[in-house]
Amino acid sequence: MSAAIDYDAFRAEVRAFAETRCPPEIRAVVATYRKLSRKVWYPWQRILFEHGWGAPGWPKRYGGTGWDLKQRHIFDEVMAECDCPPQYHHGLRHIGPVIIEYGSEEQKQRFLPGILSGEDWWCQGYSEPGAGSDLASLRTAARREGDEYVVEGQKTWTSHAHEADWMYTLVRTSKEAKKQQGISLLLIPLNAPGISIRPIRTIDGWHHVNEVFLDNVRVPVANRVGEEGSGWTYGKFLLERERLGGANVAPALRNLERTRELLARELGGEAQRLKRAMLEERLLLAEAELRGAQALGQEAIAAVMEGRPLGLLPSVLKLGTSVTFQHVAEVALDAVGERLAPRFRPTDAAGPNAEAPGIEWVQNYMYSRVRTIYGGSSEVQKNVIAKQLFGS
Amino acid sequence: MPFTATPIVGGDAFDQACRIGQEADRQLALIDDPAGQLACLRRHWDSLAGLGWLAVAMPEEAGGAGGTLSDLAALTGGAGRGGLPLPIAAACGVIPYLLADQPALLPGMAEGQHRIAFIPADAAVDEAADVPQLTPDGKLTGAVVGIESPPDPTHLLLVLGGAEPVLLLLPAGIPGISARHTLRIDGRPAADWRFTGLAVEPGWILGRGEAVARRAAEARDLGALLTCVEAVSAAGALLEQTIDYLLNRVQFGVPLASHQALRHRVAEMYVEYENLRGLVLQALRAAGAGEGMPWRDIAFAKLRLGEAGRFIAQSSIQCHGGMGMTEALPAIRLARRIMMAEFEFGDRTFHAQRLLDAARRAA
Ligand SMILES: Cc1cc2nc3c(=O)[nH]c(=O)nc-3n(C[C@H](O)[C@H](O)[C@H](O)COP(=O)(O)OP(=O)(O)OC[C@H]3O[C@@H](n4cnc5c(N)ncnc54)[C@H](O)[C@@H]3O)c2cc1C
Repeated sequence: MSAAIDYDAFRAEVRAFAETRCPPEIRAVVATYRKLSRKVWYPWQRILFEHGWGAPGWPKRYGGTGWDLKQRHIFDEVMAECDCPPQYHHGLRHIGPVIIEYGSEEQKQRFLPGILSGEDWWCQGYSEPGAGSDLASLRTAARREGDEYVVEGQKTWTSHAHEADWMYTLVRTSKEAKKQQGISLLLIPLNAPGISIRPIRTIDGWHHVNEVFLDNVRVPVANRVGEEGSGWTYGKFLLERERLGGANVAPALRNLERTRELLARELGGEAQRLKRAMLEERLLLAEAELRGAQALGQEAIAAVMEGRPLGLLPSVLKLGTSVTFQHVAEVALDAVGERLAPRFRPTDAAGPNAEAPGIEWVQNYMYSRVRTIYGGSSEVQKNVIAKQLFGS
Repeated sequence: MPFTATPIVGGDAFDQACRIGQEADRQLALIDDPAGQLACLRRHWDSLAGLGWLAVAMPEEAGGAGGTLSDLAALTGGAGRGGLPLPIAAACGVIPYLLADQPALLPGMAEGQHRIAFIPADAAVDEAADVPQLTPDGKLTGAVVGIESPPDPTHLLLVLGGAEPVLLLLPAGIPGISARHTLRIDGRPAADWRFTGLAVEPGWILGRGEAVARRAAEARDLGALLTCVEAVSAAGALLEQTIDYLLNRVQFGVPLASHQALRHRVAEMYVEYENLRGLVLQALRAAGAGEGMPWRDIAFAKLRLGEAGRFIAQSSIQCHGGMGMTEALPAIRLARRIMMAEFEFGDRTFHAQRLLDAARRAA
């Protein structure tokens, strides 16, 4: 089947589309590390949607492209190379596929079109103050009352909750069973009475994440995905699907290219010759690592397409590329730090220095720290790898 | 089931090379004196010549097996896993590549009687004045050090740099050449060579000019690639053996493998190993697919070998505690080999410089 696909022609088609159809002002946001918000994402999703490319990872029957894994990978790669925003993932990559796999017919009709067109914006309510790496210990409780659940508890680190319409949420529906078994997945509208959202200010000064308080929020039972008590399985399905996220090294390589240009620009003078050489060497080491990861990413995609097990590749990719991304961000910081780090304060997010030329490199460095924390922290990945390597 | 490494190129040749490597390593560990070790290496050299290893990449017209890069990778990979302290990359790959247009020499090489040490133009010297060169009246002078070699070398293959590069094949044991033979820290034979005004006979000169420099650079990249294959393979075995050691060594009443600090160190070794494996595999594919050597892929791989290889070797030594400081375990002999591999066919700074130069030129 896949032998019939001309991947080179496909790549060229995607590139032509990206270059002609993605508005320059949107690409500029990506290229200059400005904040990607719903305001930026939505028009781009709309363009993709109208072209029939709204959901590269979905089956055709639900409005997806029906592309194979390699095509999807090429699409992601070319988008990164052209500075197009990566598609907003919470609907398209996370809850959408779960609804497609486990949702009821009504849920599919109600939720999939809004995700596809970008009309509905989703966020992920998993983490809680007491449940991070050990997510299964979550305590936000949903008590059944007739056709409704009454939800009581708190989520935290909820990215985009402040601009989202819906939160797919893991809640505890039973305290009896093993802790993984008492969890259910609810789709909760964020305008429901009893929900309050409070911003969390992160070290980079931007508003990414929130605390979400749920005070006796009434959610129709019809908004539960799949079976009661099976939420953990659906959550894992979602993570499984995202396991190849680390295979797309293109954004990191693009970031590295931009950093190399920064060095040439910032450190072009004779007095900075040695400094530039030192930083270029660090960048080169990072590039070597990223190229290794890129080769492994291709191996992973081939494995999936040929039905072979992925083994530890996803953990290796996540662990490796997250650290390398941070190294690149450190090189950029070292290039501009003397000039810009002292002018960067969290309170400056919208303040006088927010527009200082190049200040985004400091912000980017600060924010890059999260890469080894979320999506399975480095330590958790190492536990996973070691368990497999040692056989227990 | 604990981890077992997958070969980059597996198969019978890989298994055979691995078996011979392990056997040689075992035997060598029981011999104390260098002369006895050298004799043992010579026996293994003769037997692998008998098995046809040295002819693997030689053209069929010249009596070789006409094998591909993949066949070479199987051999070097197997030898790396087994810890065979012989210069397989040079003997099976680099030197036949440089002498491919010398059909008269190939049979002697294939059978193992011509045992050639290769001295590249940028071979190490103690003093800048020692760089080998031809005087205007055709005499060879200079002194190179730490040249990896087969046991009892019979010939020297030299590339002389300078305005007009020269490729030169000389008999090793003649007046005007003196040698000091040693065994390196990874157990491989090596020698320092001094040339004291040796009159070069016209028949020794195999080539001159830009073509020699180009071919020598390609040969170096081939050597770097095969060395990477060998080292990745050694690193896979080293990981296995480190894991095995940690599972069996008990301290504080529990196996060391139960301590998260060590488990995480091993996980880091694995990530480095995988990343390096990915790069080497990609370079190997690129080299097999196209014309000429994909120098950029190879340079990235060799650069990473410097970084990742050393990290893996050092971590393994650390995980073994005091035993890591001894020669007693095969694991530590592998670690030493991986550390040495960095310095063959261009060390990490050499390959980094090439890549940095190219990036600057592109900018
Ligand atoms: C910017 C940002 C955005 C996020 N977005 C979302 C979101 O949209 N939705 C959502 O649900 N969550 C989100 N998260 C939460 C994220 O998934 C968690 O931060 C992550 O799971 C880690 O949990 P924690 O913060 O509680 O750290 P902890 O689990 O408390 O970990 C603290 C430290 O201990 C280490 N550690 C933990 N367990 C072990 C162990 N067994 N062995 C060794 N070391 C260990 C960790 O690696 C870490 O270094 C976000 C987080 C951030 C910072």
